[in-house]
Amino acid sequence: MILKDIKRGDTVLEARGITKRFPGVVANDHIDFGIKAGEIHAILGENGAGKTTLMKILFGLVQPDEGEIYVHGEKVNFRSPLDAIHFGIGMVHQNRKLIPAHTVIENIILGHPKSGNILNLKRTGEEITELCDKYGFNIDLKAKVWQLSEGEKQVVEILKALYRGAKILILDEPTSALAPPETKKLLASIKIMTGDELAIIPFITHKLPIVLTVSERVTVLRRGKVTARLKTADATESNLAKEMVGREVIFRLERVEVGKGKPILQVENLSALNDKRVLALKGVSFSVHEGEIFGIAGVSGNGQQVLAEVLAGLRKAVGGKVLTDGINITHYTSLERWQKGIGYIPSERIDVGSIGDFSLVDNVFMNYYFDDEFSKWGIIDSKKIRKLTKEIISEYAVAAPSSDITAKSLSGGNLQKLILARVLSRKPRLIIANLPTQGLDVGATEFVQNKLMEAKKERAGILLISEDLDEILSLSDRVAPIYEGEFMGILPGEQATRENVGAMMAGLK
Amino acid sequence: MKFGSYKVKLEKKVNLTGWQAAMISILAIIFALVLVSFIFLHAGVNPLVGYKEIFSYGFANAFGLPLTINKSIFILLCTFAFIVPMRAGLWNIGMAGQLYAGALGAFAVAFAFGAKGSQSIDLSPGIVIPLMLVGASLGGAASGAIAGFTKGRFNTNEIVVTMMINFITFWLVAHMIKEGGPFMGSGGEGEGFKLPPSIQAPIINNVPFTILIALGLAGLLYFLFAKTKIGYQIKAYGLCPAAAKYAGISPFKIPLLVFVIGGLIAGLAGYHYFAAVPGVFKITKNYGDFGDLAFYGIICGLISQNNPLAAIPIALLFGGLTNGGRFVQGKLNLGFGIDYALLGVLMITLVAFQFFFRYKIVWKKIEKEKL
Repeated sequence: MILKDIKRGDTVLEARGITKRFPGVVANDHIDFGIKAGEIHAILGENGAGKTTLMKILFGLVQPDEGEIYVHGEKVNFRSPLDAIHFGIGMVHQNRKLIPAHTVIENIILGHPKSGNILNLKRTGEEITELCDKYGFNIDLKAKVWQLSEGEKQVVEILKALYRGAKILILDEPTSALAPPETKKLLASIKIMTGDELAIIPFITHKLPIVLTVSERVTVLRRGKVTARLKTADATESNLAKEMVGREVIFRLERVEVGKGKPILQVENLSALNDKRVLALKGVSFSVHEGEIFGIAGVSGNGQQVLAEVLAGLRKAVGGKVLTDGINITHYTSLERWQKGIGYIPSERIDVGSIGDFSLVDNVFMNYYFDDEFSKWGIIDSKKIRKLTKEIISEYAVAAPSSDITAKSLSGGNLQKLILARVLSRKPRLIIANLPTQGLDVGATEFVQNKLMEAKKERAGILLISEDLDEILSLSDRVAPIYEGEFMGILPGEQATRENVGAMMAGLK
Repeated sequence: MKFGSYKVKLEKKVNLTGWQAAMISILAIIFALVLVSFIFLHAGVNPLVGYKEIFSYGFANAFGLPLTINKSIFILLCTFAFIVPMRAGLWNIGMAGQLYAGALGAFAVAFAFGAKGSQSIDLSPGIVIPLMLVGASLGGAASGAIAGFTKGRFNTNEIVVTMMINFITFWLVAHMIKEGGPFMGSGGEGEGFKLPPSIQAPIINNVPFTILIALGLAGLLYFLFAKTKIGYQIKAYGLCPAAAKYAGISPFKIPLLVFVIGGLIAGLAGYHYFAAVPGVFKITKNYGDFGDLAFYGIICGLISQNNPLAAIPIALLFGGLTNGGRFVQGKLNLGFGIDYALLGVLMITLVAFQFFFRYKIVWKKIEKEKL
């Protein structure tokens, strides 16, 4: 371990001229940056800007075509993550790589060279507890990982890296799956860690406020190139966004008032079970009107997913009623709901909203195959569906070289545009949008929100489910915070504020 | 990996054309033949002579070729019975049971017309043969429907259900044709009654009309999956059941439908072998062997990547090799099982070579100064 005697301010990791080409794209184009001990150096960029590739290169998962990496002044050549770990680099992946059935402690020592064949859980436990106390982590080491919240799992990943002796920690989108209070806790711990001469590199997509509160320096990437290198003190939200997206970004959407029409959706006392057969939706009642966006705010896992699935006909209700235009549709199948003009934009873009191995044409057809217009005698009118796909791709600016490529080759933002376009092109009277902008970069988020607003102008009723408080507050005409399967109230848009909705999301009435 | 001054790397293939897939399959076949030639050498036979005998009997002999074609039709129908559920992501391991049920259905029709009574009974083939086909289809479809229904309604494991139904149907056939069963033949030798000549299937050049059914189905199924709404729904369900459900595709109807179609086709395979192949025309004593042969449908399905047209040459190859292998064993006095060994090795290499469907090996010369 060569990173033993480092002092605050030493440059511990330096990348010079890192270049990585993939077929048809330069993922990293001569990237230079250095990181010092005791500093948090944020790397900011949209999806596809090359952050992930850079991170993989720094961690030895991918070898660069050109360029050099120096650890504490020494030139290194990582052939695999083991080499990187040897030099004190730790990595916390965005997709958790933990074993759910094992305890926290077992996960932390998994693959640790010190663990040997016979585990000394007591000694290890003490060492890990020491680490926790030092950095302000509060976690039950004997708990099984599946019992933990997303935030706690993140902590386990960090502990795992620290226990392996990481002095440079790479965090990939560390807050993407966390609720606001968990984010706050994590950021506080990260701050403490840097006090201990640890260098931290969080990769952040578009959560600009977090960059501004937590980091000392920022490097902004766009299309594989460094577009800005600044001290956080000199940065503002809007100039960072501009560097990241390449143009001015408007943060606040103008809420358009549309005369509220008659109710399209009425939900009475609706209850449903989740996958574990536990009552997750406990008798909610509300209505959605024409030309209205009804926002449901909540931390994920509070019943909003179950609600969306019941309304889309993908899950059975165990009590209550759903009516559209006064007709009881509680027992309608999902197909009948599509035909009645209900459009569902699912939160799971891959594997529910799209089929990765299908072409874009076939993916668009998912919401059209049942229309008589697109088939005759059961034979698909492929010309028509192809034409529709082309129109959708150009109208929604889906970045795709052709409509025959598979959906899995699209980036997250483009895939969401395709799904949104497909659903909205049916002109549904009721739109259920479940986490429509989750994980999208600034540009795509703005686009999706604008399209929902346009649909509202065309007098569709929209049920918007989101974890992003800003999104809910800026788009919704009425807001219902959901907590443990119940609405904590229904607030008119003008009365909803960050403070009162945030408190209600946490279970306070 | 390094070999001398060359660097070898595996790269993922982005796309695969039909031609490349065909070339890879042909290479796999050649590779298998080379491997099996060691068995020939071990048995003291010149492999070239062995292969010449196998191929000339299997594919170019006036006696051998019709046998090959009849076996291939059977394998091809079983392949379709496997492919259709496979497109919906479901494994049909029940072709054996379904073809037994199909055979029972076909012979039940003949039985109802009194065909058991006498060989000289004069029945109208224009009526009875189509009805026997319907009986075979219904028998196979009903057998398949059980697995489809339980899958769709209770989400049971279709592999286990179809497998178990194989056993049930196997013994059901035994009950029907043996020891005083209703379909027992007059010889009392534990086999079914023989169809009277008037309702034996029309045969041209020793090949029954069922070849038209098999080839017609190949085209029909290809069209079904390429162009129709039903085919689209089956494919969507197969690739991603959750997405299919989201799109309103019934998670009950699709499993039921694919198993009904698969079972129906397997039922026709039962008709083909027991009621149409020249010289058989009865449920034979060794009917279980044909149940075993049905499992080649799985291999053909996997190798053809669920493409019904690509399945035709593969089924023909397998049919010819079983046939020629069996022949050469007798002619060259080889040990028992050379035909099975050949098919076994062929299967393994064909499946192993599918690796090259997804990866290619790249050779690169390492520059001198880097060595």
